[in-house]
Amino acid sequence: MSNPYIPNIAVIRKIITENAVNDIKTFEVVFEDPELAESFTFNPGQFGMVSYFGAGECPIGIASSPTDQGFLQFTIKKVGVVTTALHNSMEGQKIGVRGPYGNGWPIEAMEDKNIVIVGGGFAFTTLRSLAKYMLHDENRDRYKDITIIYGARNPGELSYKYDLENWGKRNDLDLVITVDKGDAEWTGREGYVPTILKEVSPSSENAVAAVCGPPVMIRFTMPVLTELGFQPDRILLSLEMRMKCGIGKCGRCNVGNKFVCQDGPVFTQKELESMPKEY
Amino acid sequence: MNSKILGKNQLTKFIDEFIGEYRVFAPVKKGKIIGFDEIASGKETCLDFQNTKQPPKSVFFPQTEVLFEYKKGEKGLEKAGSGDRDKILLGMRPCDARALVIFDRFFSSGEHEDLPYLQKRERTAVVGLACNHPLNTCFCTSLGGSPFGSEGMDLKLVDLGDEYLVEILTNKGEKLVEDIKWLRDAEESDLNRARDLAEDAENAMKPKISTDGLCDKLDGMFDDPVWEGIHQKCIGCGVCSFLCPTCWCFDVLDEDTGTGVKRVRIWDTCQFPLFTKQGSGFNPRPSGKERMRQRIMHKFNYYPKDFGEFGCVGCGRCVRECPVNLDIREVIRAVMSV
Amino acid sequence: MEDLGKTMQDVARRLLEEGKVDLIVGYEKGTTPIRSTPCFIREAGDVQKLIWDPTCEANLTKYLLDRDERIGVVAKGCDSRSIVVCLAEGQIDRDRVTIIGVPCQGVINRKKIEAELDKQEVVEATVNDEEIKVRGEGFEKVLPTTNYLCDSCLSCRHRNPVIYDFLVGEKVPEVEDANDFAEVEELESRSSEDRWDYFTEELGSCIRCYACRNVCPMCYCKECFVDETMPQWFGKTDDLSDTMIFHIVRAYHLAGRCVDCGACSRACPMEINLRALRKKAEKIVKERFDYEAGTDVEEAPVLGTFKQDDSQEYIIK
Repeated sequence: MSNPYIPNIAVIRKIITENAVNDIKTFEVVFEDPELAESFTFNPGQFGMVSYFGAGECPIGIASSPTDQGFLQFTIKKVGVVTTALHNSMEGQKIGVRGPYGNGWPIEAMEDKNIVIVGGGFAFTTLRSLAKYMLHDENRDRYKDITIIYGARNPGELSYKYDLENWGKRNDLDLVITVDKGDAEWTGREGYVPTILKEVSPSSENAVAAVCGPPVMIRFTMPVLTELGFQPDRILLSLEMRMKCGIGKCGRCNVGNKFVCQDGPVFTQKELESMPKEY
Repeated sequence: MNSKILGKNQLTKFIDEFIGEYRVFAPVKKGKIIGFDEIASGKETCLDFQNTKQPPKSVFFPQTEVLFEYKKGEKGLEKAGSGDRDKILLGMRPCDARALVIFDRFFSSGEHEDLPYLQKRERTAVVGLACNHPLNTCFCTSLGGSPFGSEGMDLKLVDLGDEYLVEILTNKGEKLVEDIKWLRDAEESDLNRARDLAEDAENAMKPKISTDGLCDKLDGMFDDPVWEGIHQKCIGCGVCSFLCPTCWCFDVLDEDTGTGVKRVRIWDTCQFPLFTKQGSGFNPRPSGKERMRQRIMHKFNYYPKDFGEFGCVGCGRCVRECPVNLDIREVIRAVMSV
Repeated sequence: MEDLGKTMQDVARRLLEEGKVDLIVGYEKGTTPIRSTPCFIREAGDVQKLIWDPTCEANLTKYLLDRDERIGVVAKGCDSRSIVVCLAEGQIDRDRVTIIGVPCQGVINRKKIEAELDKQEVVEATVNDEEIKVRGEGFEKVLPTTNYLCDSCLSCRHRNPVIYDFLVGEKVPEVEDANDFAEVEELESRSSEDRWDYFTEELGSCIRCYACRNVCPMCYCKECFVDETMPQWFGKTDDLSDTMIFHIVRAYHLAGRCVDCGACSRACPMEINLRALRKKAEKIVKERFDYEAGTDVEEAPVLGTFKQDDSQEYIIK
């Protein structure tokens, strides 16, 4: 029995600024222990507990794909003590990483199905992990049609622009990018994610929808998916909750008789309907 | 092995048999209150109480606990030490002993066991103390417990007047007393007296609060208006949770030591507003109503659904100590009468 | 003797029936002997729950904060003073509060009775201003109420409410010359080592439950200083240094605002003497600024104003 509260030491190898106002950065980290760096594996949708020693620890979804060898990526928005400390770090800084925790997107159950990914804002991070995984040469042919609808408040807020550019060139994927409000240079779509989803109108036939975004986006996206014919057990949501231990012990992510850090963060709409509305 | 008899005037001698080989935790008088602490000699023990102010969870799950230290420079991560002698926890009432079993079950559940707690907990023998005189605030019998219950104990002391009956309940308990040759064997009359006392104690308990079907009843009550009234006088402090033998929620913080960083865990409670407040500022439990509902639902619905028993042992500490006399028994009655 | 509880019920009933208030906050009988508990009444038919006796210890001012309803609140002398402080600090809207003042001759400290009975459990009790009749397994006693009052009540100089819309009962004589700094003076006379030992012992058992903070009407900050993280001012563990600083800073925050209602001491499950630090701060404020909290709603908060003739002894020696 090992102590689950002890983090593994990782080193920040690269820091990528994702958005124009510079409060979302992607941190590429490598475990100090080469064996762990080699053997660490996870499912898209799982999260790690990331420590900045002295500031604390917080749960961050893993943004890289399991197909990325030897490193992990975390996309972090600066909101509080720990995230600010991370944002002020330089390459070479040692941090702690515990994990992977949570259930992740059900990549096996999603095989042989059409996939509709709907993401809003910076919550897109674990959907990016899912998309990268599915689009990888080794995995692509296990999934049928893939539609990605990703929106942000404005063009400056769109993250992973480098991925979006590559994905746009592919012909085995329907990529739809939108912003709530464009700027002078923006030539793409304009509109809230739920509105664009309705316009794109992906088929719900043999399809699974994976959704992640701010509460207001979720609230308006759910009825659209239902209207398109998606059954509650075919709609997947990733919940955000305050977490401290990540292993179902400290009690704060408790919703009903479930712990979001253990039984989630991914739940089907059907499961959520039987849980108290406290998330 | 037969039950033994320990004279009350031999209690100190009995406890001293273990000091040295074991770390012994017993109720001691700490200023104005009685709480559990490690003792260096049997005479520090005080068994003249109905129940301790703080539950024994603080022995294995202290208010503040260092999880590890990260020292600047070469040293890096240092785990908090764990090497320990065997322990004896003496003088636990049946409700607290049951609570410890609940704690054990929860902390060893799921994919990741809580090592810091379990490490302290294993290698601990529990010597319980039956309740001859339950208080009017005790309600263990309404929740599946009993003033003479044995769950979670290795030995059980029963106060027969001038002597204690020492009941041997497990192999661990047997091992503790097998070398103490001066304990005399209990006789039939002693066992009968203990049985009579058990019956008296059960009869002395205030009438049971009906909890039949409480878990199922709460299933449909998440949005029930009953929660509006229940929480009104609650002031949102941590007294009920911190004195509760079955509450385990904690917070994790980093503390700067000057030469490095200590990661500590401290008691926390779902009654504090910051418990669920997210980084975005959104709080799924924004007011006392949601937080009180969480406490009650967790103890009597969410936890039982997964573990098959209530998350409350009826010790009555919250009833006695709540600054505004918010009585959980009244809450149960209010819910049952909806 | 006049049954003030009945009078209180009548006042409450009238206020509800006439639609002057939406909610009455008073005291009802508690679930254990010698205890009352705050009660919230919205229907005139429920007013018979209201009681008034020396178990009515809670400072109900707490429940006036952050509510939109028009509230009729029962207030003892000390409670009325905390209402004055909250009014002066803009936390309560005077138009939405109807104060049902009641003169008080002290509330009971249950811990003193427990100590007297050597922890024998009280099963039944009747309480009035003169005597407390207790009954338990194998004993029955009559105790004079005045011997078992809270420490804050023993030196109370404001038994009558200083502000009220209705007064229940007749005013009682004040004890003008009560020395409410007797305990502080005793502590001041000790050496600093003794005082350090005393406070180390008292505060060493603090479990950081924040009952003292939460029961106090003057602790109304949306985010308490101990919970701030950016920056984090103090630690939250039960290390003595963390705990001491919490209590010291809290005493500072209450200087010139605390009315010594005693709610914090009564709330503390570990029976810590919480009044000592705050009483010292109160004494300093009295000496330096000749100010006592909560006596005059027109007076501005003492540490929120600056007068030219304020004492400056700590700056210029």
